[in-house]
Amino acid sequence: MDFENVKAQMRKGVLEFCILSILSKGDAYATDLLNNLKESELIVVEGTLYPLLTRQKNAGLLSYRWEESTQGPPRKYYALTDKGREVLKESEASWRELIESVDSILKK
Amino acid sequence: MKKTFSVNLGNRVYSIDDDAYMKLKEYLDRIEGYFSDQKEREDIINDIEMRISELFTEYLGSNKQVITLNDVEEVIKVMGDPREISGAEEQSQATHERHSGTRRIYRDPDNRMIGGVCGGLGAYLGIDPVIVRILFILFLIFGIGFLVYIILWIVVPEARTTAQKLEMRGDSVNVSNIGSFVKDEFESVKKSFRRNKN
Repeated sequence: MDFENVKAQMRKGVLEFCILSILSKGDAYATDLLNNLKESELIVVEGTLYPLLTRQKNAGLLSYRWEESTQGPPRKYYALTDKGREVLKESEASWRELIESVDSILKK
Repeated sequence: MKKTFSVNLGNRVYSIDDDAYMKLKEYLDRIEGYFSDQKEREDIINDIEMRISELFTEYLGSNKQVITLNDVEEVIKVMGDPREISGAEEQSQATHERHSGTRRIYRDPDNRMIGGVCGGLGAYLGIDPVIVRILFILFLIFGIGFLVYIILWIVVPEARTTAQKLEMRGDSVNVSNIGSFVKDEFESVKKSFRRNKN
């Protein structure tokens, strides 16, 4: 098993959680999300974001609205739904649990 | 001197060199081939086109009015390989793998006279659609062919995605097959395009 692959898998695992987390701080369109995720080095190529957003939207976690832009094409702004907020809360809890479990092993 | 096209991406119009257009079209088609769910596919392609449109706007300025092959290559680098984009979809790829090799009946939109029913049946049965058509016409003479055709037209789904087209021919749906199939289609589009130009 090569290490790069492990890293990519880890990143993928938390990506959906991070998208929800970013959106909980305010509505955003894809490029805002991309800038955020790229800054934290969570995403390498942009294309991977779109299937995730579509799936989260279809699962009822996100809603969207169109807004005109002065510089380019109209933007699709995503917002968390109530269900999305709930899932985020649960994910956050399990994330903390996971960190604790891993830490407890690392510190042994 | 190069010929340019104008394309509508995310409701904005761009002038694009013909080689750049071909490259972009092939890229988007390849992405499309990875998603089997129609609604999902439309959403994803739409979002990606929006983003590409935004990137094109960034590249263009008063000194630069045409999208070139370089720009498209840059966009592809930023957006990533279609396989990587569909990476989150490994599950649906896996379920496809299970169906691999089994044939399914579809209507063939690339090989149609009316609704693609005979073309699809021909692909399913592995015989020339012309023979299916002749049989159908014989049926017609005896009266029930028309009704049968209409029923099949309604009941049999059209093969829209690359994956479905492969299934129609009984080829297994995997990454390399999709790749080569899309390339074949791309080549045939290119050829017919050249023919029309002359």
